[in-house]
Amino acid sequence: MGHSVWSCSYERIAMKLVYGLIDANSFYCSCERVFQPRLRQLPVVVLSNNDGCAIARTAEAKVLGIKMGDPWHLIRKRPELAGVEWFSSNYALYGDMSRRMYQVLAERVPRVEPYSIDEMFLDLTGLPGDLTERCQSLREDVRRIAKIPTCIGWGPTKTIAKLANSIAKGGPTLGGICDLTDQKIRRRYYEVLSVAEVWGIGGKRASKLERAGYRTIQDFVDAPVREVRGLLTVVGERVQSELRGISCLSFVEVSAIRKSVACTRSFGRPITVWHEMREAIANYTARASEKLRQQGLQAGSITVFLHTNPHAKNELWHGDQKTIQIKPTNDTMAMIAQAVRMLKPLWRDGYRYTKAGVMLNNIEPANERTNQLFYSRSDERSKMLMPVLDMLNARYGRNTISPLAIGITHPWATRSKLLSRQFTTKIEELMTAKAW
Amino acid sequence: MASGDGYNGENTTGFASPARDSLEGTVDLSAVLDLRSPSRYPVRVRGDALNQRGIRHGDILIADAAAPPVSGRVVVAMIHGDVVVCELVYKGQQWWLQPSRNDPAVCVSDDIEIWATVSGLVRTNV
Repeated sequence: MGHSVWSCSYERIAMKLVYGLIDANSFYCSCERVFQPRLRQLPVVVLSNNDGCAIARTAEAKVLGIKMGDPWHLIRKRPELAGVEWFSSNYALYGDMSRRMYQVLAERVPRVEPYSIDEMFLDLTGLPGDLTERCQSLREDVRRIAKIPTCIGWGPTKTIAKLANSIAKGGPTLGGICDLTDQKIRRRYYEVLSVAEVWGIGGKRASKLERAGYRTIQDFVDAPVREVRGLLTVVGERVQSELRGISCLSFVEVSAIRKSVACTRSFGRPITVWHEMREAIANYTARASEKLRQQGLQAGSITVFLHTNPHAKNELWHGDQKTIQIKPTNDTMAMIAQAVRMLKPLWRDGYRYTKAGVMLNNIEPANERTNQLFYSRSDERSKMLMPVLDMLNARYGRNTISPLAIGITHPWATRSKLLSRQFTTKIEELMTAKAW
Repeated sequence: MASGDGYNGENTTGFASPARDSLEGTVDLSAVLDLRSPSRYPVRVRGDALNQRGIRHGDILIADAAAPPVSGRVVVAMIHGDVVVCELVYKGQQWWLQPSRNDPAVCVSDDIEIWATVSGLVRTNV
């Protein structure tokens, strides 16, 4: 008796947590379709950096048998794929569309946590009215305003929301939404779905569980906690609690200040000579410094790395990296000099390097002159030169003025031959509409 | 950029500028056009069919995907794989797309999408 009174008032005080997860359908392909309506009914595939392999496919492309990770050069000539529209990844475009998706949601939901470029957790706790209707109208608003088709799943924990989302995606009859707040409904799915479908239980963890006899999600949920901890440590224990409806993962606040600025890319072809590697690193450094200045920041540490193809058989592997502390700066020239000096001892003749990069850390606002003691004449000159450099490059196009160190023809540069336009972020490449 | 030309009305060598406490930044057109809103898309016009509406070849339209369709407004529409700009008209219980004064209107059917309503225009080559 006393117990039931207690639990009744507890229910009233503690609002039932509801986490939602909204996820774009074939996000990169959907972005391409927004501005190219001729693609609406066609199979569309977006390729990874360097036009390597398929990383996003529309439903039409999946039907044709194209798998995630299929290498483009192997499948492009297949006769049945003659009608497929292939695209290089256009991250400037996808980033802008992700921004729109986030803004539409942030205007309508108390809290939005961007989890990846195309997935966002939503705080749906304590919202008035019918959640199904609300989620449908969220989907419609994102579709109409940010132009992106999505699915939404929700439930009492993040892990359940993630599962609900993948159920919504897989079931065309569900209308793009899935509500797993009800324990009985959850159980129905838990009994038929494989434990490998659960967020955080991929590959190795799933096969460990299967070997121990836990195949379905329900098997896993019913497993003794001690055994789960034994098999998968506290990570597995947390996933199990989450699946039981006890929230262990809360909202993560994303800090507004960037902690690092990076520029890392795979080459269009392997680099085997030193001067090309030096040029590539100088390039990446120049780009990263430019990003710093755009945000009024400077960096106090540089990391440089390079490596050969980790998947190539019959080829020697080499990879190395180095990090050093520097006097905080955002000057392109100073950064390049530093990065190239660090790169030299990392380089080895005789290897085929496929990727390299530069990361800048210990980021701070550029006007904070923490080290007055070593302030020099060259700082003053850089403070005048860099704005001029940025201004000219902004007005007349990237690399109108650039240090010779970054080279001119860039034969090693990343391939993206199938790039669509930057429809929303570049004035020369805007979507055109015919007045006919 | 902070001080592209070095003078912003504040630093004078002879007499203190009487405007010093009243300085304002330059006009921010992206704020006027609300370009940071998720619903705003810049769209370049190709063709002169809407000259009578004051819309010319090369103009940049600011299209708003959140604005509801209203008869008489100019809209961006997707028709059979093409992106077009035309006037939206409601007549005889039916929505129509009017390409220009002299051309026949097209009935808005299921395979036509009203993509966004034009809310502003930028012209840099007047």
